[in-house]
Amino acid sequence: MPEFKIQHLTKYTYPAPVRDSANQIILYPIQDEWQEVIKQEIRISGDPVIDTFIDYYGNKVGGFTYSEPHSTLLIDSKILVQTKHKPLPGNDIFPAQQWEDLKHLRFMVPYIDFLRLEQFEGFDDLKALVEAEKSKEDTPYQAVLRFSRYVYDNFRYIKGVTSVETTMDEIWKLKAGVCQDFAHILTLMLRLVDIPARYVSGYICTHRSTIMRGEGATHAWAEAYIPDYGWLGIDPTNNCIANETHIRLAVGRNFSDCSPVKGVYKGTSDHRLDVSVNVGYEDDAPSMNQPVEFINTPPEHTEHKPLSNIPKNSYQRYLEMLQQQQQQQQ
Amino acid sequence: MQESGYFSQYSPINGVWDEMYGVDSIREHYSKVIDYLSRESSEDLARKEELAQRLFMSQGITFTVYSSGEGIEKIFPFDIIPRIITADEWAFVEKGIKQRLNALNLFLKDVYNNQFIVKDGIVPIDIIYSCPHFLREMYQLQVPYDIYVHIAGIDLIRDHDGTFYVLEDNLRTPSGVSYMLENREITKRLFPDLLPQCCVRSVTEYPNILYKNLLSLSPRQISNPTIVLLSPGIYNSAYFEHTTLARLMGVELVEGRDLVVKNQKVYMKTTIGLQQVDVIYRRVDDEYLDPLVFNPASILGVAGIMGAYRTGNVAIVNAIGNGVADDKAVYAYVPEMIKYYLNEEPILKNVPTYQLSNRDEREHVFANINKMVVKKTNGSGGYGMLMGHASSDEEIEDYKKEILKDPRNFIAQPTISLSAAPCYMQGGLHPRRIDLRPYALCGPDGIEIVPGGLTRVALKEGSLVVNSSQGGGSKDTWVLA
Repeated sequence: MPEFKIQHLTKYTYPAPVRDSANQIILYPIQDEWQEVIKQEIRISGDPVIDTFIDYYGNKVGGFTYSEPHSTLLIDSKILVQTKHKPLPGNDIFPAQQWEDLKHLRFMVPYIDFLRLEQFEGFDDLKALVEAEKSKEDTPYQAVLRFSRYVYDNFRYIKGVTSVETTMDEIWKLKAGVCQDFAHILTLMLRLVDIPARYVSGYICTHRSTIMRGEGATHAWAEAYIPDYGWLGIDPTNNCIANETHIRLAVGRNFSDCSPVKGVYKGTSDHRLDVSVNVGYEDDAPSMNQPVEFINTPPEHTEHKPLSNIPKNSYQRYLEMLQQQQQQQQ
Repeated sequence: MQESGYFSQYSPINGVWDEMYGVDSIREHYSKVIDYLSRESSEDLARKEELAQRLFMSQGITFTVYSSGEGIEKIFPFDIIPRIITADEWAFVEKGIKQRLNALNLFLKDVYNNQFIVKDGIVPIDIIYSCPHFLREMYQLQVPYDIYVHIAGIDLIRDHDGTFYVLEDNLRTPSGVSYMLENREITKRLFPDLLPQCCVRSVTEYPNILYKNLLSLSPRQISNPTIVLLSPGIYNSAYFEHTTLARLMGVELVEGRDLVVKNQKVYMKTTIGLQQVDVIYRRVDDEYLDPLVFNPASILGVAGIMGAYRTGNVAIVNAIGNGVADDKAVYAYVPEMIKYYLNEEPILKNVPTYQLSNRDEREHVFANINKMVVKKTNGSGGYGMLMGHASSDEEIEDYKKEILKDPRNFIAQPTISLSAAPCYMQGGLHPRRIDLRPYALCGPDGIEIVPGGLTRVALKEGSLVVNSSQGGGSKDTWVLA
């Protein structure tokens, strides 16, 4: 049973003090048969009280505020987690029966949200592509593997070309992105063939010898629902099954349901975000207590980045306010 | 019945229920008013009308029409002739609204908790889950006394035979109640003797009942909890109403920037420091309420307020997520809800509603579009709707394209002929189409409805659109004892 020590640091640095920040963290690994949290410590600068609750999708979510003026916000999460290998689905059921079973899930509560399609410009192209890729003899499990391979082969992994606000249209045109974009595309492709698919955020913990995409930051992949099996983790960024080396933090419809750290504050919109994720193994030297270097490469998730649609000058901000205030009353 | 000068000129619209004019004569409940009017000279009435306009102007009773391009604040047009409802009619309407609101409250509790009604197949699951106002953030969140709809504005219309129909349930931020109150104040000045003579029931208790209910929701058991009215700001169409209600209840009028969340509690910034807020009567939409959880670009909300609400440290009125119950596609299922939750027959009727996401119903609507009104399921204020009988072929074709892009967002209803009431215009009485929006208040003691409401008038001859944002006016609404 693999055991991992993970330290996930998130640090915001502001050029001038900011205040009244309200934040949400989804940094608590899911606990189930395949994943057990032995220990977790979350330390946040300013020592705020963290209030946690379980959200609609079953994720543990924390909330805290930081009212006093501050120039940095550091969120330090240390986890000791144990995983088990989940056996893979068998191929012993007739494919036709499995596809038939999937059709019945469309109007069932646990799956309806994970079958919902989103419209975008390339929707028809994607639909045609999915139809072409899919083979008649495939079981749903084989279709999942095939689509993952497709995304892996046809999208380039480039950091920094997309952000959390990049739309499906842009990703589709770029044919490139990072893990969250790969996961986004794959969930859509699966939903198009009636396979419930959800977005997963977490960490990838590979063996020392292999280098995988998504290390050093939070990672994202997808889960597909296979009849008579359950949720199967699939990582299109690395084209592999997400199993005992993928630590799950949250599941949801899309990135915004699982955003690991996000916040709103009053003050300058300029800021710098540093994220690092370090993984150690049980038999390693006790890395938990060692200081961790911050990576300086562009982080994969920049949730706190100022929104591109926030107007820059005060006149434009005034117009924006005016427009928002004119919401229709019933 | 003696025919007055005004009455003899009055010609009711064919095939339309007239509130004043029955079979060949004036209805009993209008007779005192008509008698009174017939004793007034036309100069007197003209003077009264002018006085009403000046009072509206001097007291700043305005309404903002966004798209008019004529300055943002406009006088809310007022017709001096009251709309009169008999005691029997009111008893029926009151009973019907209470029943409906009970069911809608139970529906909201159910849909955010056990979802029995979905599991039993009464309301289709995809209608709920595709509704943008079904907020998963509200799932299993406990609200005080299980009340979701504290304030409802139920829109009623009357068909050609006088039957009442519910046109819309407004369960999020219903507006217009300040005009109900102001219209009565103006009428008191225009016709001071008529109100007691006709035994008109008072509406002035409204702010007191609302205040009492807000007070009862305070999570802190203290003698003077802090209640605030959260407004989007001065550019909002209903800002006049926000200021009026805050003043009448004696509560603070605030905007998002006046509030801050600290450790799951909401505070108001005051000149003597932070003061904890217990109850928020908000007139800001869900989407803008918390930039941390909903629209991150919102500058009207309070970051973290959802956390304070979830932990029960603050009460929010109306509850968040009510839009799933007044979605126009869900509206079609309200009669079923009444049967399902209350085991009663619906007292008030629904207007037949076609779901455009259903192919058969859509084709039927497209084939009969001249007899239909098509609406957006999440629209309000009469924006973005199509009146089939009054639209050009081109408008219809464009609208059909819109519908096909996302049919779930549209419903259609047969054009219902609204009832008419006499209005004073051009020195005489003329029938104009009206609706009725009573305001129901739901608190721990039950549902209370002040006897009255806002009667909206389509001032243009032949028009069926009464929305204030579409140039409609209003009348004082009298409920007789």
